[in-house]
Amino acid sequence: MIIEISHFLSVLATGLFFLAGSFSLFTKNTLYISNLISRTYSHGFLLLLTSFSIYIWLAISDNFSVQYIASHSNTELPTFYKISSIWSAHEGSMFLWIVFLSLWGFFFNISVKNDQILKSKSIGVISVILVGFLLFLLVTSNPFITILPIAPLNGADINPVLQDPALAIHPPTLYLGYVGFVIPFACAISFLLIGDSNIKWELLVRKWSIAAWAFLTIGITLGSWWAYYELGWGGYWFWDPVENIALMPWLAATAFIHSLSVSIKSSHLRIWTILLSISVFSLSLFGAFIVRSGIIDSVHSFANDPDRGLYLLGFISIIVFTSIYLFIFRLPTIKESKRIKKFSKESFISINNIFFGTLIFSVMLGVTYPLIYEFLFDQKISVGAPFYNAIFIPIVVLASFFLFFSVDSKWSRKINFKFFKTPIFLSLFFSIITVIYISDRFNSNNLAILISIFAGTIIIFRYIYELLDSLLNKKYINPFSVIAHMALGLLLVSISFNSLLSTERAINIKINEYEEYKGLNIYFDDIRVLKNSNNDSIKATFFIEDAKGKQFNLSPEKRRYFTRGQITTETAIHIMPLKDIYMTIGDQLDDGSWIVNIQINYLIRFIWFSAALMAFAGIMLIFSNRRA
Amino acid sequence: MNPIRKRRIYSILLVLLFSVSGISLILYSLNSNLDYFFTPTELKDKNIPIDKRIKVGGMVLNGSVKRASSKISFIVTDYENSITVEYEGIVPDLFKEGSGVVVLGFLDNQIVYAEEVLAKHDENYMPPNLDIKNDN
Repeated sequence: MIIEISHFLSVLATGLFFLAGSFSLFTKNTLYISNLISRTYSHGFLLLLTSFSIYIWLAISDNFSVQYIASHSNTELPTFYKISSIWSAHEGSMFLWIVFLSLWGFFFNISVKNDQILKSKSIGVISVILVGFLLFLLVTSNPFITILPIAPLNGADINPVLQDPALAIHPPTLYLGYVGFVIPFACAISFLLIGDSNIKWELLVRKWSIAAWAFLTIGITLGSWWAYYELGWGGYWFWDPVENIALMPWLAATAFIHSLSVSIKSSHLRIWTILLSISVFSLSLFGAFIVRSGIIDSVHSFANDPDRGLYLLGFISIIVFTSIYLFIFRLPTIKESKRIKKFSKESFISINNIFFGTLIFSVMLGVTYPLIYEFLFDQKISVGAPFYNAIFIPIVVLASFFLFFSVDSKWSRKINFKFFKTPIFLSLFFSIITVIYISDRFNSNNLAILISIFAGTIIIFRYIYELLDSLLNKKYINPFSVIAHMALGLLLVSISFNSLLSTERAINIKINEYEEYKGLNIYFDDIRVLKNSNNDSIKATFFIEDAKGKQFNLSPEKRRYFTRGQITTETAIHIMPLKDIYMTIGDQLDDGSWIVNIQINYLIRFIWFSAALMAFAGIMLIFSNRRA
Repeated sequence: MNPIRKRRIYSILLVLLFSVSGISLILYSLNSNLDYFFTPTELKDKNIPIDKRIKVGGMVLNGSVKRASSKISFIVTDYENSITVEYEGIVPDLFKEGSGVVVLGFLDNQIVYAEEVLAKHDENYMPPNLDIKNDN
């Protein structure tokens, strides 16, 4: 009964969103109607939230008459994972995705007090999108389907690699990021629908966009961190299709929030900003389509279902093509300032926007090219890291140079290069010294890596100068911009160092034997078979002493879970400030020795730290009093 | 032609030139960095340069897995033709004889020297191109 109530509330919410959407799009906008739309939407949201809360309760209370819960949860699971099992597969995660979409709309609805016309239209647009996705959920992937009359006694359990705190919070954070871009999208569409070029929609969506961007950044970072310690491959980024489809909206969103501030400050790039807001949300939707249609082979993809893929493709195409049609139709009416002054802040942001566009285009090509190629030439291909490195390294380095020169640029004014000779000269000087030192110290002449380090250090040194300058001369600096861009510099340096220094080797070793690797003295102490509550495991113990005489233990493990018979690798990681010692255990050979893989990963924590720092800068901006 | 129009044509041409050369550069680097996927049969009559990275997919032949220190060698088969693979390192948890595998590496003298060995996180996984042949 309670399941049907939850189900029914979702259906009812769909109805209310349909009403809100129709009111907004097909009636003359009066104050009365605006209020009606706002209230209808809020009620729709509350119904949907109640429905989802009941669903969470169903999962916590092990209600296995719900088919979805029966196949993804288990009585043995801690409550935390019972809840996270909801988003461990397609139906539940889609449900969460939709609830989050409506949540953003709800906050927008209750917190925007001015701009009533723009607000009602935007709520209408959000409602229409919600109806489309709710119908998708209820028709093609209903999470409320029951097993009647007799429910199974226990559930089939969550996939063990997903029983992990980082992975339990990774999808929700990522989804909050993806669907958060519905706010700038809906506002841009409403702006086009209304057709009044004087409406300042850009200012309204600034903080919303940055919030969504921060969530997306954290979501991607959590995914990268999880993959590192859980999958046992080491590494933080694999250019897997699902990573790429998260990267595209992130790149577009980063370009968007920059272009947005140009539009706010000087009314330049207004058209481009609208196009970007459409692109960011479309790319988020495209991501949902790729993951959920199973069209591309990936570690992440949900089960292949052509119906779902077709519905999503249809609905997403309608959204995208309507937006683009509307955009082209209204293009002549949008007023923006023409002629960007050379060497102004706008000009630098415009150039870097072109770079962002190129990166997005390249990733899109990398993701879709295998499909196109197979269709045309009947030959399976894949696009891997070499392609992305060939594109990303030069473009990111170039963009960093433009960023470096733009640090002290002004809105709508030419940068005064003479005055800024000192900081530019000093940062270039220190960076060159750093790179020469690194090249000498680590005996490297890998040009791509050295240039990337250089690109990172010029940004860092340049901003250090800015910070000192502002402290000493009480000059105003934008703290959010300083933190976010220094984080980018740190990210470049950490990624470069990581690929310059990290090494790995597989060794085979017997119990009570010593092995030497890169100054590490490895002693295989013991291996034993353990019986855990839901798995059998073999756990090895290694004593390791590094070159400085520091000692520690590593215990890599291999588990076999009872419920699914799945084997997982539990990595053992020793974290030091600048590097990780990372160990996984493989199979036993006939002579009794074991294969062990050992990696030394440099600065890998700094990669996630810099990404987190970027997101932090964004969050700080949201809670600051700055208007834009 | 009036100067404004002339300038506009020049700027359009410049933008076109930049986009065309940019896109050609991207496509060029895409084409030179593709990993082609082959089954052992498709690999048989193809001449692949040693420095070209390829993917080979098939089933691990029963009884073909040999280990020597940290090296492993096995035969990948599509039940018509087979090819030997050598790899140094730990194979994935789901790697086993008689199940599907995809390796990424370089072909030299009828041996694939693998950089990566992938076994899908799915018991029912079949490498692409193979699902039909395995039915009989």
